[in-house]
Order: sequence, then structure tokens, then C-alpha cells
Amino acid sequence: MYGRGIYALRDVTVSIGKGEFVFLTGPSGSGKSTFLRLLLRQDVASEGVVHVAGRNLAALSLRQVQTYRRTLGFVFQDFKLIPTRTVLENVALVSRVLGDQSVQQQRRTYQVLKWVGLQHRMNAYPVELSGGEQQRIAIARALVNEPALVLADEPTGNLDPDLSLEIMNLFRDMNARGTTVLVATHDRELIGHVGRRTLTLDHGRLLSST
Amino acid sequence: MHALQYCLNEASRSLWRQRGSSVLSMLTIAAAALVVGGFLLVTVNLDRVLARWSATAEVSIYLRDDITEGQRVDLNRVLVASDVFASRVFVSKADALARFKRDFPDLSSGLDETPDNPLPASLDVQLRPQGADSGAVEALVQQVERMPGIADVRFDRRWLARLASIILALQWTGWMLGGVLIVAAVLTVATVVRLALYARRDEIEIMQLMGAPLGLLRGPLVTEGMLHGGVGTLAALAALYGAYVAVKAQAGPVLAMVVEPEMLGFLPASTAGALLAGGMAVGCLGGWLAARHVR
Repeated sequence: MYGRGIYALRDVTVSIGKGEFVFLTGPSGSGKSTFLRLLLRQDVASEGVVHVAGRNLAALSLRQVQTYRRTLGFVFQDFKLIPTRTVLENVALVSRVLGDQSVQQQRRTYQVLKWVGLQHRMNAYPVELSGGEQQRIAIARALVNEPALVLADEPTGNLDPDLSLEIMNLFRDMNARGTTVLVATHDRELIGHVGRRTLTLDHGRLLSST
Repeated sequence: MHALQYCLNEASRSLWRQRGSSVLSMLTIAAAALVVGGFLLVTVNLDRVLARWSATAEVSIYLRDDITEGQRVDLNRVLVASDVFASRVFVSKADALARFKRDFPDLSSGLDETPDNPLPASLDVQLRPQGADSGAVEALVQQVERMPGIADVRFDRRWLARLASIILALQWTGWMLGGVLIVAAVLTVATVVRLALYARRDEIEIMQLMGAPLGLLRGPLVTEGMLHGGVGTLAALAALYGAYVAVKAQAGPVLAMVVEPEMLGFLPASTAGALLAGGMAVGCLGGWLAARHVR
């Protein structure tokens, strides 16, 4: 809830099962990003509870939040790549955060880059890549730690339709490997093409779950 | 180990990326270290001189011309009985005149014109080093001053005590001036490191989302401050050494009239090391002040 009684989300009760692929849709300002921010524990719900894998996110200490976030992968519309780092460094940042720079982890970094088809660009900087390539790098970064849950906020918002489909196929692939995926998008056509469970929000309320 | 290496790498990278403002920050730390180090250099050398002079402190007892043999015996008895007495040298009137002529040749012609030797005989009493600081010397001086046959007693520890006070005042002045500059240096480092924080804010935000521990986010900033402090203090020590060598070369002959040249020296390694550690601590503090903004 924002100040002065304005709710960003209200009466939203949703359960997402392990290994599910779920779309979160709705017009701008409907509460999609707030929903994701709650799951990322960037915000804490002023009312109600958010449970992920049995953990009440509001009850987590700062240290527990850090540990919790290490079990997530995230992909944003604006990619959130570090412009001064190479592709390899951007993806390997996760292992650095985890304090793991083992050979196994380096191999894993290479594997995810290969999976998104950009192993040959590992020494390039983000500015040298196209939008689609940058988003694939962001996806590789989200996956390198083999997270149980991947959150994506308008991951195709800056991409043309063909690239959007390509990115969605990557999400489908990662879901097929057992990762729970939650994608927030307002692209109805894309949702229709992929055809998965869809939560529709409007003015902070859950309109449908189909 | 990885975290430490990461902090060092990130700090070095940031230092290079913002080399202009980093140099400014290092200069303020260097200025503070130069002031503190300069005062330390002066006072350390004055301490050495003071210690040497204290170890060789002596009491000069000037004898009246009409002192009797009995009074001399009494004087010797009092001296030998004292705990602070080490040895004595009798300087006759003739020896005193010869010494004066040797030390002050320009003034000796005046003495040649007088019919009698005006200089008194004296006893130069050497003190035990361990007893020189105690009140026992003062007690001995006061006792001897009251004895018959004594013209005057001079004890050069009195001005040594004044010199010690001057050294203490210099040390306090150095610390106060240095303290003001240290505060300025901390604030400058904090500001410069904060600029580095803004330059890395995207990376920090992403790392926060990935669940990076706070130490990994703040560590590079604190390390950067520490590097500012370390490099700045090293520069100050180098400048101080250059100044020391230059002053010693220029003023060496003048100083040699007052102190033995081998008594003068640069800061001891332990003091220089402490200054370096202090500079790094000041930098760390500045870095930490900036890093507090990462939550």
C-alpha cells in the first residue's frame, strides 16, 4: 500500500506451483512490477503475506534476504547489464557474489552462454551487442546459478516480435528443465503464442487466473 | 581470499577511473601526514638530543677563591654520599682560563689585560643517567648551594626541562594541526569515494538483487579509501625524507655546532610504519563513511 490509502495491490491471492510457467499481465500501472518487487523482496507488503518456498518474505532478516535472493534469477526490460564489464564478467558476477570461482562454476558460465548462443561474444561489452543479445546475456546471468525461480519483468519490452519469440523460447526451455518461471508482460500476442497460465491484474486487483 | 582480491581489484579499478579526484583525496591525506610527520620528525630528533644531553647532564660547582681545605673535604663527602653522583673533575682557575681561551678566542684578549684571573675554580660533577631525572639532583644542588666556600652551582637540567616542555608543546601543536587536516582528509576521501559509489551504482544495485553480502558491496569502497590513505601517506613520507635530506645538507654545518650530526636521523621505521597505518586508517574511515550509504 502506498501512502494515503492507495493500494498498489489489493486482494491478490495467488499460488504458483513449483516448476510452473506463469504470465503476469495487465496494463501499465496494474501492479505487475510491484508484484515482482514483492517477490524479489525489494518491497515488503504492508498487508498480507508473501510466501516463497515456505518462507515468509516479510520476516526475513537482511542476511536472510541476501541468501534468499541467491536462489532467484531475474531478467529486466532494461537488461541491467554492467556496461563496463564484458559479457563473461557480467554473467560470472553471480559466482563472484556467491564467492564461487571454481572451475565447475566457470564451466557452468560457459555452458549458459553457449545455451543462449553467445559463447563467441564472451569478451564483448554490452554496448557492442544488439538488444536481443543483451537480453540473452541477462537470461544467461539469471540462469548461471541454477535458480529455482526466475522472475522476468517485461523481458521483451525493448525487442521486436521475432526476438521476443526467441527470448520466450529460452524461458520455455529453462522451464522445461524444472525452473519455475514468472514473466510479467503486457504483450497479449506473446502470451497467446506461448500459451501458459496467465494472471491478469488491473488497478492492483487480480482480475483472472486462466 | 576471493573477496579480498575482489575488493582490491575493484578499488584499484575505481582509483584509476577517477584518478583526478583520487589524486585530490590523496593530496589532502598527504598534507595531513606531512604536518603530523613533520612535527614528529622534529620532536623525535629533539627527543634524541634531549636524551643525549640528559645522559651527559652535569652539575657545575663554582668554588670561592678563599675556600678552605676543610670545606673542600666536606664538599667531596657530600658528593660521594649522593645516589646521583657518578664522577667529578676538578677544573682549576688556570684550567678554566685555558678552556675559556680555547672556546672563545675572540674574547680572550680582554682577560689578558686583567692582572688577576677572574675565573673561579670549579668541580664538574657527572651524574648517573638513571638518577638524572629524579628530585635527588635538585636536593643535592640545594644542599651544595648552602655550603660554605661555594660561589655558585649550575645545573643544566633546568633548561633541559624547559626544552622538554617545548618538545611537548610542539607535539601538541603538531597533533592539533594534524587533527584538523585529518578531519578534512576524512571528509575529502568520503566525498571522492562517494563519487566512486555513484559511478558503480548500477553494478551495486544488480549485486544487491543477486543477494551479494553487504561486505562485498561496501568492501571495495572501504578498500579504496584505504588505498587513498596509503598512497597519500607514502607520498608524504617520501616528501618528508626529501626535505630531511635537503635540510641536513643545507643546515648541517650550523646544526653541527649545536648537536653531533650522528644524533640526527629520519623517523624510526616503527614511527614511519605507524604513520602509514594511521594514514590508511584515516582513508578507511573516509571510505566507510561513503560505504554506509550502501544498504
